[in-house]
Amino acid sequence: MIQAVIADDEVLARQKLRQLLRDEPEVDIVGESATARETIELVRLTQPDLLFLDIRMPEMDGFDIIGALNPEPGFTSPRIIFTTAYDTFALRAFEIHAVDYLLKPFTLARLHSALENARHQIQLTKQSPVRDDAAKATSDKFTKRIVFKSRGRILFLPLSEIRWVGAEENYVRICTQSETHLLRETMSRLEERLDPQMFLRVHRSSIVNLQYVKEMRTDADGECTVILVNGQKIAMSRSYRARIQEWLHR
Amino acid sequence: MGGFMSIGLLFALQDWISARNWRYKVSATLLVEAWVVQYFLWGAICWLIWLWLGPRIQQGRLSWILTCVLPLSIFVSVGEEMIWVLMFPTLPIGSSGWSYRRRLEFHLNAELMDSLVIFWSSFLLIRGVGYYQKYREKERSSQQLEAQLVNAQLRALRMQLNPHFLFNTLNGISSLMHTDIAAADTMLEQLSCLLRITLERGDAQLIPLSDEMQFVEMYLELQNKRFSGRLHQTVSVDPELYDTLVPAMILQPIIENAFTHGLSRLDKDGLLVIEAHRIHKRIKLTVLNTGVGLSPASSEEAAGKGVGLANVKNRLELHYGNDQRFLMREVTPNRVLVTITFPLQFAVDSSSKLTGLVRDDTGSDCR
Repeated sequence: MIQAVIADDEVLARQKLRQLLRDEPEVDIVGESATARETIELVRLTQPDLLFLDIRMPEMDGFDIIGALNPEPGFTSPRIIFTTAYDTFALRAFEIHAVDYLLKPFTLARLHSALENARHQIQLTKQSPVRDDAAKATSDKFTKRIVFKSRGRILFLPLSEIRWVGAEENYVRICTQSETHLLRETMSRLEERLDPQMFLRVHRSSIVNLQYVKEMRTDADGECTVILVNGQKIAMSRSYRARIQEWLHR
Repeated sequence: MGGFMSIGLLFALQDWISARNWRYKVSATLLVEAWVVQYFLWGAICWLIWLWLGPRIQQGRLSWILTCVLPLSIFVSVGEEMIWVLMFPTLPIGSSGWSYRRRLEFHLNAELMDSLVIFWSSFLLIRGVGYYQKYREKERSSQQLEAQLVNAQLRALRMQLNPHFLFNTLNGISSLMHTDIAAADTMLEQLSCLLRITLERGDAQLIPLSDEMQFVEMYLELQNKRFSGRLHQTVSVDPELYDTLVPAMILQPIIENAFTHGLSRLDKDGLLVIEAHRIHKRIKLTVLNTGVGLSPASSEEAAGKGVGLANVKNRLELHYGNDQRFLMREVTPNRVLVTITFPLQFAVDSSSKLTGLVRDDTGSDCR
């Protein structure tokens, strides 16, 4: 069960969230607040797992609220999902590692994916309430998600959702199950940021997520192909095959 | 000043050559000194006059020239000669024992006309430079005005597009609300994203094709909500064209047109094909749609009477002059193809576009 607080100065915005969360059996709304002070008191009192926080609030903005919620001993600060119509704050929200960032107006689908991220993080926290810095340091080297602007949204895309990445001239195309995103980025720069335990470069212009690889085939004339679970075929070049063999035998 | 000095040197050379021809002895140094000083003085005088009277000389009327400049020319010529005679007591050659006054008279007799010519030539030169500068300034300002006008026209055309597109979409959402709330909700979110993108672009007239295509793809998703399942779309863009600059929202009105006048009349199996290709140094954008072909009404559209298409044509013309093509024709019965071509143009610094990734520093603690 995830206990959540909704903080937004607009009645209609709170109402919309409440309605959408009604269909989420796992989420239990333990309180709502309309001002910064109310929010701080409510969070201290109820100690929720998750806080839906509007960045623009009367008196203080959402960031100040987080600052005021200084974790005291025995108090775990909630996970934050920002909700706002302004997107200039996204990157700052990211610095204080918000779980996600919902731009108003958002749909149920968007809320779903944000909740999915939150659920995952809350589970992690509950398993190890004491933050294990050593373990974090190793995982920090590679990002667990990437953040970018695409299609007028800010995406906090968990790496596990990326099926494969293809190079297109000066751009890379990131493909998930449902959409593709075009970023002005180089393959090598992106590859550096991906966890090699999870991603494999199979060609000068493609990287695949091993979770979604169904099989690798070598046809009669020695050409190799990677086949993803959705049936998509990605060519593999010989120069990368050695690395793949290595990976198969580890 | 340099110009005057070199004229002085030339005259000295000429004098020296004529002296050699006439076989009389003259010290070359003295010659050079005399001539160079003569023209140095003139240079200094003209420079001072330029500083003091430059603007007045350039704008002065004839009456002012006659009453002020004419006496000034005589005064200055005589004054220059007086200074010069003072500096070269040994000249003219063979004048030893002459009084200063006699030497001055001698030189004035010989050179007053020359001096006046120098003065008035400089005067005309200054006046000519004035005219030239004025002409250049006029040209520059008229060019600026023209550029401003084109920009204003482009801005107006761009501003016409946003509301046009916005109200059409809002109308779509409004009709969808009665039948499918969830779809209307999704459409609203998509519209917000589209608006956000247009806001982020600010009033940039030219944007990379990748941005334009992102917009187009989102617009197609949005339209799909209304035409659910009745439509087959393909978008193909040559990746080497992603960074080429195209007028912002150049495709959207054409695609909107394809929906309004073609695809919306079909109840199934609509086809929409959007392509971007490179042809040598040009880019070719095509939009093909099925529907009802070009009725006389839509021929009017093609003639540019519809807001969207007229807008596209005007902007192409403003951006590329005659170096662009807009063509709308019925390729086979009930298939309409719109083709636009214009020169390839790449951003000077395409890396300035920030779609970069942000590092996820989960290491930083909550404050």
